Amino acid sequence: MTTVAIQTGRPVRSASRRKRKWGTNTLAIVFSIVWLFPVYWMINTAFKPRPEVMTATPIFFPRDPTLANFNVAITQTTFLTNLKNSVIVVSGTLLFSIVLGLFAAAALSRFHFRGRRTIMVGILIVQMLPGTALLIPMFLVFNSLGMLGTYWGLMLAYVAHVLPFSIWVMRGFFITVPAEVEEAARIDGATTWQVLTKILFPLVLPGVIATSVFAFIAAWNDYLVAFTFMKDQSMYTLPVWLASFSTPQTGTDFGGQMAASVLFSLPVVVFFVLVQRKLVSGMSAGAVKG
Amino acid sequence: MTSSSDPEGFGPEPNVLVADEQESAPQEPNSIRRRSPAPWLLLTPAGLVILVVTVAPIIFLIFTSFTDYNQRSLFTGNFHGVGLLQYQTIFSDPDFWASVLRTLLFTATMVAGSVVVGMGVAQLLSRLGTVLKYVVTISLIFAWAMPTVASSVVWKWLFQPGYGVVNWMLTKLRIFGDLTNTDWANNTVLAYTCIWLLIVWQAVPFIALTLYAALSQLPQERLEAARIDGAGEWRAWRAVTLPFLRPTLLLVTILSVIWDFNVFNQIWLISQGGPDGTTSTLGVYAYKVAFVAFKIGQGSAISVITTILLLGLTAIYIRNLIRSGEDL
Repeated sequence: MTTVAIQTGRPVRSASRRKRKWGTNTLAIVFSIVWLFPVYWMINTAFKPRPEVMTATPIFFPRDPTLANFNVAITQTTFLTNLKNSVIVVSGTLLFSIVLGLFAAAALSRFHFRGRRTIMVGILIVQMLPGTALLIPMFLVFNSLGMLGTYWGLMLAYVAHVLPFSIWVMRGFFITVPAEVEEAARIDGATTWQVLTKILFPLVLPGVIATSVFAFIAAWNDYLVAFTFMKDQSMYTLPVWLASFSTPQTGTDFGGQMAASVLFSLPVVVFFVLVQRKLVSGMSAGAVKG
Repeated sequence: MTSSSDPEGFGPEPNVLVADEQESAPQEPNSIRRRSPAPWLLLTPAGLVILVVTVAPIIFLIFTSFTDYNQRSLFTGNFHGVGLLQYQTIFSDPDFWASVLRTLLFTATMVAGSVVVGMGVAQLLSRLGTVLKYVVTISLIFAWAMPTVASSVVWKWLFQPGYGVVNWMLTKLRIFGDLTNTDWANNTVLAYTCIWLLIVWQAVPFIALTLYAALSQLPQERLEAARIDGAGEWRAWRAVTLPFLRPTLLLVTILSVIWDFNVFNQIWLISQGGPDGTTSTLGVYAYKVAFVAFKIGQGSAISVITTILLLGLTAIYIRNLIRSGEDL
């Protein structure tokens, strides 16, 4: 009873507020439907049997869901070879970029020295270079060295993109470690090397893992470089495989291609969800999406 | 960017930049040692690699832009210096100027679209209950996480002539007539609309979530005060919320400009820059000249120009980063 008495104090206001609440909620639902639709349509198509994929009136839920499209994507294409290529090149890129980037990030965050600012600006600039600017000279050099279409060539091209970015992001994690931690170790007689390896590196480990995930996504998603360097289908990486998806029997098969998209996107989406929070605050300085 | 998305700002005070350059300044608390060789030792391996994989190629690119490097040179290794010829060719080529104009126009409309929608979604997020906020965030993250190649492939299927679900829906609306067999990639305006929708779809999540993070730091008292002073919702937003968000908004906008300027995959996979090159931005144009026509010298010259334009944008970005208190 008392609550009613309190609410009747401002009946007009609360009614208009409720109406507005309805408005924002409806807007939120409409927005979510529109934004999720492409993802939903990809998954929907991937699970449809062939006769349901291309119909005059689109079918919004597979009537007879099947995994046949996934089977086609994996077995009737060069999926496994191309997956192997992607895994080799991406792991090589990560190994290089994270180890070298970790040391550089430590230098740029825990030390003050002349020229530091210049180096930071240089790294930012390198990171913002347009794709074709590095692509052309690398193509020429690798062509004359016989490295076009090899893992090494592709890996070096990815390191050019991922290493500056990794330095920048990991530096952000180093900065968050309070100076007292370092000073305490120093008072106990630790050398610079010990401070780094015994104190700082373990403390920034979560940041290193997050950075590795960003770096993984950047290298895994690249299409432009791989498409230009790897002309032999057996040397394609997964993005090139996906973009040129076709099976010998049917040509472009949308069921198969959507299943292929799901397979290719799945690891990225999973990893992305894991580090998304760090991404919002940490990625602003680094271009991941290519 | 710690300072805008995280107002506590992890780094030392912004004026450390100034302090760093004055030898008389007191020792920074978190510096291990001022004249130690340690930082240089730590930087050397990464520095060497960056020199080899980015700085050297850029120098080589500039060099190539002054030569007649072409398809034959790829096999024979022979090419000649031609001075400024490639640049003269480009500057007298209407296709080049069309690409420049197109790039600027595309970038502007894409950035405008993503920033406006992103701002709207950030506002929306701040007014939602827990469940719906979660739903909207999830849909944003899915769009953000999708690799561009996958989303471009999905886009082609959504807009497929004959069986594409978008064509079917638009036909059902009965506003535009029968669009069932419309080939989006074959018409400049439609191809561009299709690409624009894809770019905005993928760009909104980062912008919305970053702005929302900043928005959640807005002191509610200020909004309350504006309302008590009799300001309506719109005036309160313009007088309080917008100025508070301005630094974040600026950084997000500059980053979007740089990213959208560089868009390649989506254009390449949806329209290949067509029809008749009418959706070729500078990146796509340079790629076609260098790797389809194999006029590599000329492609290099276009890339040099693109890089210079982009460096200008990056300079603006870095200046704002420093101004917003980022400790470089």
